[in-house]
Amino acid sequence: MIEIQGLTKRYGAKTAVDNITATIRPGLVTGFLGPNGAGKSTTMRTIIGLDRPDSGSVTVNGKRYAEHHNPMHEVGALLDAKAIHTGRTAYNHLLAMAATHGIGKARVHEVIAMTGLESVAKKRVGGFSLGMGQRLGIAAALLGDPQTLILDEPVNGLDPEGVMWVRKLTRHLASQGRTIFLSSHLMSEMAQTADHLIVLGRGRIIADAPVGEILALATGTAVRVRTPQATDLANRLASSDVTVTSVEGDLLTIAGLASAQIGEAAAQAGIVLHELTPLAASLEDAYLELTQDDVEYHSEVSR
Amino acid sequence: MTNTTLEAPQTSTAHSSTHLSFPRVVRSEWIKLRTLRSTQWSFAVFIVLTVGFGLLMAATLDISGGPAVDAETQKSLTVMVATLGVNFTQLVAAVLGVLIISGEYTTGMIRSTFAAVPTRLPALFAKALVLAVATFVVSLVSIILTALVTAPILAGQGVEGQLLDGEVMLALVGGAGYLTLIALLAFGFGAILRNSAGGIASVLGLILVVPTVLAIFAGITQAVWAQNLSAFLPSTAGAPMFAVGDGSAAGGPPAGAIDPDVITLDSTQGFLVLLGWVVVMLIAAAALTKRRDA
Repeated sequence: MIEIQGLTKRYGAKTAVDNITATIRPGLVTGFLGPNGAGKSTTMRTIIGLDRPDSGSVTVNGKRYAEHHNPMHEVGALLDAKAIHTGRTAYNHLLAMAATHGIGKARVHEVIAMTGLESVAKKRVGGFSLGMGQRLGIAAALLGDPQTLILDEPVNGLDPEGVMWVRKLTRHLASQGRTIFLSSHLMSEMAQTADHLIVLGRGRIIADAPVGEILALATGTAVRVRTPQATDLANRLASSDVTVTSVEGDLLTIAGLASAQIGEAAAQAGIVLHELTPLAASLEDAYLELTQDDVEYHSEVSR
Repeated sequence: MTNTTLEAPQTSTAHSSTHLSFPRVVRSEWIKLRTLRSTQWSFAVFIVLTVGFGLLMAATLDISGGPAVDAETQKSLTVMVATLGVNFTQLVAAVLGVLIISGEYTTGMIRSTFAAVPTRLPALFAKALVLAVATFVVSLVSIILTALVTAPILAGQGVEGQLLDGEVMLALVGGAGYLTLIALLAFGFGAILRNSAGGIASVLGLILVVPTVLAIFAGITQAVWAQNLSAFLPSTAGAPMFAVGDGSAAGGPPAGAIDPDVITLDSTQGFLVLLGWVVVMLIAAAALTKRRDA
């Protein structure tokens, strides 16, 4: 359980995090979503005390992180895959980290196996790819068998197999009752991994709700309809609340009505339907909708 | 990178035994120190330089033609040969002292360190302790090794080593102590500046450039204040720690007995002044480390 109360962090004149309050609960994967520069990393850094808040407080299981007797067992954090001395081997890095808490070599070997780093464990970190660095960072985060796991952009640079692995691992750890907090700008990834989402834009929380709710909130759902009498159906359904888009000759996308309502309307009019598919809006769309007024860096090319 | 398994972290691991403690942080810092090539190389260079310069001096010393040297000069020469390398290894100690902490900042490692030791100061002090002990041991071993291998050569010149003499032993240990304090001074600079180039430039400036500039200035103007200021610089103050007698034989500052206003520190005073430098730097480093964002 992570409790963030009125957290504000400024770097010079720039306010990175602006008075945010949130609770990240155990047993769930909580996704932390936001465009670059929204303040996700800053928030995560304050949780483990790397950055000092200008105001507000952050506690992990009721205490500030630094007050815990066994910090690596409380929180495992991957905040930056490059937070490793490049001149040391992966094994020695983990060994040194483990030694601070008296964690034995057996556990070091265990996390190396868990993250699939056996073949490169004795190589120096300087030569690691981004993906290998991420795996090593996750290995280090897991060393203390943490109750709370914080991962900043964990799938960055991972191959598809690695992405799948992170997804399964976080879901598995959450099912054991642990608190999982991970950030990503890959919204589709979040849709498949997270139970709950906190969306951040320009240092402020835009949304804090279950994934499904955020999807429903941000976009009306649409229904794809295939019928030989497309024009008939379109005329019948047309109203100010309903948008009918013709995709092909016999294919329509209808927004503003549930699939049941469309099916009933078609039956009443004796219109034959070949397909009736509710389209779940992608989280990507929902996210863009939520954050479009809050992105710090708009790209020149229109989306 | 092929087989990643989905195992839960072993919840059965006994957590009662795993927790943070200062001895464990020291152990972690020791692992960090010994697993970097740069430190391994630095300490190898330490030994080579100390023994090499000692042998070079012993081999080129030629006093057999002159009058027999007295006991005091024999001790002085013994110490001088064994610690000649200190003038060079102090540069290695300074660079190592800076790098051991600045390297964590420049690579980002410090964030891993402070995530594991969130109160931070135990990590800083454990690192300083490990650096100090390693530097002291390697310095002392290389100085004593030099004294032993040069003893037969010096004996041929009529200089009997008297390695078991209290004054000689103190000076040899003093050489190791001097290098240790220089390494810690450099560590302070590295922790404050968090930057390798800046840290190395500052500490080498302080121990090499500033005394030279002051010496030139004092030489031209005969200004007593410049000479007195110089006496309190780390390298000048520390020099008597590894010399026997008035230090003139060891290439230290010429005895200022001519002018009673010029301050000359003896080995104890010099040690305390250098220690003062180290303490001030480490307190500043600790205050900043605690306060700043990592």
